[in-house]
Amino acid sequence: MTAIRTTYEEFIRTFGNVLFAVLLFVVWGIFTMIGVIVDQGKDPSVYYAAYPAAIARAILRLGFDNIYHSPWYIGIIGLILISLTVCTFKRVIPARLPPLRPVKIEKIPLHAQIDLRGEESDVRARVERFFASRGWSVRKREFDGVEWSFADKHNWARRGVLIAHLGFVIIAAGTTLYWAKGFSGDAAVVTGQAVEIPQTHAIIKLDNFRYTIKPILTKSGMVYQPIDYVSHVTVTGKSGIARPMTVRVNHPIDVNGTLYYQASYGFAMQFALRHDGKPVPGLQDVLLKEGEHVDIPGTQKTLVYDRFVPTIDKTTGMPAPDPRVSNPGVILTLDQAGTAGASALVALREPTDLGEGWSVLPQRYILYSGFEYRYDPGIPLVGIGALVLLCGLIISFYFLPARLYARIDARGDGRGCTIGLAATTVKGYDLFETQFQALVEELRSSLEPPGPSTTFRPAEAH
Amino acid sequence: MNGHLQADELLMIVSIACYIIGALALLVYFFSREVWLRNLGAPLAIVGCVAQFAQLVVRYELTGVWPLLNLYGSLSLFAAMSVGIFIVFAIRYKAWYAGGFVLALAAISLAYGVTWNEGTMPPVPSLQSYWAKIHVPIVVSSYAAFLVAFVFSIIFLVKYYAEKRIARETNVASHAALADDDLGEQRISVRGETPAIEAAAAAGSPLAQWLASLPTLSQLDVIVYRAIAIGLPLISLGIITGAAWAKEAWGAYWQWDPKETAALATWIVYLAYMHLHTRNAWRGLRTNWVSVLGFGIVVFTYLGVNIWISGLHSYKM
Ligand code: HEM
Repeated sequence: MTAIRTTYEEFIRTFGNVLFAVLLFVVWGIFTMIGVIVDQGKDPSVYYAAYPAAIARAILRLGFDNIYHSPWYIGIIGLILISLTVCTFKRVIPARLPPLRPVKIEKIPLHAQIDLRGEESDVRARVERFFASRGWSVRKREFDGVEWSFADKHNWARRGVLIAHLGFVIIAAGTTLYWAKGFSGDAAVVTGQAVEIPQTHAIIKLDNFRYTIKPILTKSGMVYQPIDYVSHVTVTGKSGIARPMTVRVNHPIDVNGTLYYQASYGFAMQFALRHDGKPVPGLQDVLLKEGEHVDIPGTQKTLVYDRFVPTIDKTTGMPAPDPRVSNPGVILTLDQAGTAGASALVALREPTDLGEGWSVLPQRYILYSGFEYRYDPGIPLVGIGALVLLCGLIISFYFLPARLYARIDARGDGRGCTIGLAATTVKGYDLFETQFQALVEELRSSLEPPGPSTTFRPAEAH
Repeated sequence: MNGHLQADELLMIVSIACYIIGALALLVYFFSREVWLRNLGAPLAIVGCVAQFAQLVVRYELTGVWPLLNLYGSLSLFAAMSVGIFIVFAIRYKAWYAGGFVLALAAISLAYGVTWNEGTMPPVPSLQSYWAKIHVPIVVSSYAAFLVAFVFSIIFLVKYYAEKRIARETNVASHAALADDDLGEQRISVRGETPAIEAAAAAGSPLAQWLASLPTLSQLDVIVYRAIAIGLPLISLGIITGAAWAKEAWGAYWQWDPKETAALATWIVYLAYMHLHTRNAWRGLRTNWVSVLGFGIVVFTYLGVNIWISGLHSYKM
C-alpha cells in the first residue's frame, strides 16, 4: 500500500513539475525538428541515398521517416497531456488561486511603508477607497485580532493559464477525433470518366479540367507562373442526384460533410501497342497516368509512362521549359525483368520500337485532375480549442493579476499610524515593480496632508 | 510603369539609407551615450519604418499584387515590423540604446530581401486567398517581436556575464545579481542589481560605468518578456490562420509540411520560455538563453526552411 502511495506521490511530483513539462517540451521540439530536417514518408532507398548507411538505418529503425505518426511523437504528446492535467490540478490551481492570508510585509520584495497622522479606522477607510477607486477589488479579513485589507487587480485573469491549458486539451481532443472517425484519400479522375470514393460512395465525374499558365519575364529569365486550376465535375452524393460543381485551389466543395480539394493535375496518355505491326486486342487503347505501366505480353518487358512533356524543342529535340502544350511528347522507360531500362523521349503520334516485334504509339493525351478528400469531424473542436488557447495566452500575458496586502497599525507613540503595503503577482515581482512604485507614490500623496515619510525599499528585501 | 516603379524604389532607398545611418548613429550612441546621436538615430528609425510601410502600400497600389507573397515582400515587412515594434518599446521603456542592433538587423534583412526581388508576379493559385493577407503579416510580425526580444536578451546576457566577470576579478560578492543562484523563492525579487559593476563604476572603470548606464537586468528581462508576450500570441494566431488556410487550400489543417512544423517548433521554444519564466530560479539568465535559441529557430523557420527544405510552402501548386 505504502509502495503504491509512494509511486503515486512520485508520479504526481514528477508530472506536476513545470520543469518536467519544459523537459517534455524540449523533447517535443526536438522530435518536431527531426521531422523538418529528415524528409518524411519517403522510400527507404531515399534515406540510404541521402545519409551514411548507419544513419539511414537508424532513421528507419526509429521510425524517424514518419516521425509524426510514430509512437515517440504520440507518446510525448500523451505525456504532455498527462503532465498538463496533473500540473493544472496540483500546481496551477493552488498556486494561482491562493486564499487570503496575512504575510510578512517586509519579507516580500515589493513592499513599502507609509507613516501618517490620523485615526487607524479613518486611514483604513481612505486606503480602501483609494484602491477601490482605481479598479482594485478590496476585501477585509481578520487574523489573530489584526485586520488586513487585500486588494486584487485582474483576479479573474488568474484563470488565464487554465484557459490556455484547456485550449490545448480541446485541440488534442479534436485531432484524436479525426484519428478515430475521420478519413482522407486522393483520387485522380480522367476527363470524361468518373470515380467512386470508397469511404463515402460519392461519385465524382470530371467533365472538364482547365489550367492557366502565364509566361512572365523576370530578372532571372522566363518564369511560367501557374495562375489557375479549375475542375468542372458532376457529383453524385448520398441523395443520388447528380449536381454540377466547380473545384479550384482554395475553393473546395463539400459533399455530405466530406470536403474535396483541387490537389494536382496531369496528362493521361492513350497508348496503342502493336505486335509485328498489327493491333493487339486489349492493348489498342491503354490509358496510363504518369508513373503507371503496362506489361508487354510474352516478354519480360514493362513499359513505364514516366512523364508528359508539354513541349519538345524543335531545334534540340529535348523537353522545353515551357509547360504549355504545343509540341507534346512523353518520356517512356522500358524495364527489363524488373530492372530499369533506358528512357526515351517520344513525340505524340510517333511509333517507337520496343524490340521483340513490339512497338508503341502514344495516340492522344487526356487531362486528369487530382482531388484530395477528407472527412474530419474534429475540425470544429480544433477550431474552438485554438481560439480558447489564444484567449488563454492573451489573458495570461496581458492581464497581470496582482494582490496588495495592507496592514494598518496604530503607532506606539499615539501620533498616527503606519501603513505596511506589499504586493505579489502571479509572475514574480519585476513585472510589477514600476507600477507598485507609482501606486505607492499616488497613495501617499492622496493621503496627504501631511505625509512625513514614505519608504519604498524593494532592494532591501535581499 | 517605369515612373511608378521609381517611386517604389525611391522609398526603398530612403528606408535602407535611414536604417544604415540610424543604425550607425544608435550603435555609437549605445557605446558613447552621446545624446545627439540618439536624437539623430531615433527619427531616422521612424522615417525609415514609415517609408517602408509606404513602399509596401505603393507597391500594392501600383501592381495590384499583394506584396507579401515572396521572400522580398515578406522580408520587407519583417524589417518594417521589427523597427515598428522596437520603436514602441524604445518610447515606452526609454530603450533607444538598443536601436542600433535592431536597425542593423532590419537593414540586413531588407538588403537580403532585395536580392530575392524578381519583379511583379501574379500569385500561384494556392496563394490566391484572402488568408494570405491575414496569415503572412501575423507570422512575420511575430518573428519581428522575437527579433526585438533577441536583441534585448543579448544585452541582458552581456551585462549579466560582465557582472559575473567583474565580480570574479574584483572579488565583489555579487550573488544578488545572479538569477541562476537559486537561493529560494523569497530572495528572488526585484533582482537585477549588479553590485560588482556598480562598485567598479564608482572606482572609475569606464567599462563598468558604461555597463552601469544600461538598465538593470530585471528591467531588461521585463522588456524581453514583454516582447515575447507579443510574439507568442501572434505566432499562435499565425499557426492557427495558417491551419485555416491550409484546410482551404490543401484539404487538411495540418499537413506536417516543413514550414508549419518548423513554426510549431518555434512555438514550442517560446512556450518553454513562458513556462520557465514562471519559475523564479529560471527567470533571467536561462530564459534569456532560451530567447536567443528561439530566435535562432525563427531564422531557420523563416529562411532556412525556404532555402534548404522543400514542401507545400514552396508554393508549387
Ligand atoms: C502544451 C500546451 C501548454 C500551453 C499552451 C500552456 C500555456 C501556459 C501559459 C500561457 C501559461 C502562463 C504563463 C504566464 O503566466 O506567464 C502557463 C503556465 C503554466 N503552465 Fe502551461 N501550458 C502548456 C502545457 C503545460 C504543461 C504540460 C504543464 C505541466 C506541467 C504546464 C504547467 C504550467 C504551470 C505550472 C504554469 C504556471 C502556473 C503558475 O505558476 O502560476 N503547462 N502555461
